[in-house]
Amino acid sequence: MNLLRIEFRKILPYKTVWVILAIYVVLMVLVLNASSGITINGRQLGADAFQLPGVWQRLSFLASFFNLLLGILIIVLVSDEYSFRTLRQQVIDGLSRVEIVLAKFYVILAVAAFSTIFLLLLGLYFSLLYSTDHSVDAFFSQIDHLSYYFVQAVAYMALAMLFAFLIKKSGLAIIAFIAYAKIVEPLVHLRIPDTVDKYMPMKALGSLTPMPGQDLIDQFTTPTEQLTPPWAAVAGLFYIGLFLFLSYSLLKVRDL
Amino acid sequence: MAEVLDINSLSKRYAAIQAVNQLSVKVEQGSIYGLLGPNGSGKTTTLGMVLDVIKTTAGTYSWFGQPSSRETKRRVGALLETPNFYPYLTAQKNLEVIADIKGADKANVNRVLQLVGLESRKSSSFKGFSLGMKQRLALAATLLNDPEVLVLDEPTNGLDPEGIAEVRELILRIASEGKTIILASHLLDEVEKVCTHVAVLQRGQLKAEGPVGAILSAKDQILISAPNLPIVTEVLQRLPFIEAFKPEKDTVVLTLKDGYSSTDVNKAMFEAGIVLSQLVVRRKSLEAQFLEIIKSQS
Repeated sequence: MNLLRIEFRKILPYKTVWVILAIYVVLMVLVLNASSGITINGRQLGADAFQLPGVWQRLSFLASFFNLLLGILIIVLVSDEYSFRTLRQQVIDGLSRVEIVLAKFYVILAVAAFSTIFLLLLGLYFSLLYSTDHSVDAFFSQIDHLSYYFVQAVAYMALAMLFAFLIKKSGLAIIAFIAYAKIVEPLVHLRIPDTVDKYMPMKALGSLTPMPGQDLIDQFTTPTEQLTPPWAAVAGLFYIGLFLFLSYSLLKVRDL
Repeated sequence: MAEVLDINSLSKRYAAIQAVNQLSVKVEQGSIYGLLGPNGSGKTTTLGMVLDVIKTTAGTYSWFGQPSSRETKRRVGALLETPNFYPYLTAQKNLEVIADIKGADKANVNRVLQLVGLESRKSSSFKGFSLGMKQRLALAATLLNDPEVLVLDEPTNGLDPEGIAEVRELILRIASEGKTIILASHLLDEVEKVCTHVAVLQRGQLKAEGPVGAILSAKDQILISAPNLPIVTEVLQRLPFIEAFKPEKDTVVLTLKDGYSSTDVNKAMFEAGIVLSQLVVRRKSLEAQFLEIIKSQS
């Protein structure tokens, strides 16, 4: 935990971190607010969207789009260590390469915990406001979606960290991260059968927060095959481990 | 005396460049060891390797007789190239981060800030510091956990004369507490003034090594000229106290063995029936010596 304390010493006074987190919070609230105001067929969407217990799945699906922002935050933090040359200094001062990666992983866990708790608060607030069913069972029966979201956020940020350790420069790393997540892998998905691509990182991570009403859509179109959230969580944990290991390997083989 | 750092045929190769080639040196406890060489001679690469941030291509090194580890790193305070800090953090916060990493007592933060004269600026952020202040903060950081060894890479680089004097004085003061200091520099004058031992590097190769007095002892040069130079050189060959001589256009440049002076030369020439038309004693500059060391063995 000493590692996390060191990281907090660096991060808490850093304005960039707060700005990115503030953008995340504001965007989430804006989107939620806007969607609750939409009226379809004379009914406010908010009333449907925030019904318990489905609200947890809808919220985590929505939040999954903002994982990129959290990834960018991690890229900034890691690439800063290169541009300030503080990574090098910290190894000179006694941190091992494992600790360098672990310290950033703890930050990732902290950020994921922050966004998950934020989702929990959002969900509580909007469902109390709109949901008709306020029983304890309704609140907690599907709250496991939040834990799947947590795994997803951690895995996204771990991938972002890997890109930052690989590329070292924030701008390029951000571009590569977004290009991989949103363009390169989806293009690969088109080329290979669902039975295989459902295990690829972006698709497996996406399966952690399935789209609400996907089963309805599947009735009209050929369903795309994807992992169930519990299995996607296993894949997610595997990828987190892999990204951490690759980050460490990069530090191990390269000059700092 | 115990060895603090033992470097054994260390090499580093970047794609096409042999940055360090089979370098072996031993640094003894209590010495102020200078790594001297022009820019690009492999000083920083060497320090980077022994500080565990640059991979070695071949060779080994050990600190206090052990491989590099967290324990050995805690006994060493090191500064490599430019001062490395978080620009948005204050001097004090920056040092607190490092104190946490080194496991040093928080009370040391104020002590070292005072030592380098930055106490009044401890709440200013690093990015507003002048180069001299940054360099002093870096020195402060190396002192945080009271290390036995200091590794300093060009510690006076970019400082004004006053800053240079301050840093040198600080280094000597730290050394007087019995600490070992390893200092990389391209400034001869700095190495001569501060160091007890020196290793001269050029293109990654060790050119000379030993106590500063032996390597950089400023031997005087004597210039003589006479109407008939060939006879002069003949006589010089016979004289026992001439260390070396080199005929140039109208003069002969020579150096003497210890304990002899220009008077002996004049006397010997006169005895041989040669009247010198010129006899000049020229203090050899450190730069000239340095170039000589580098030339002589390449």
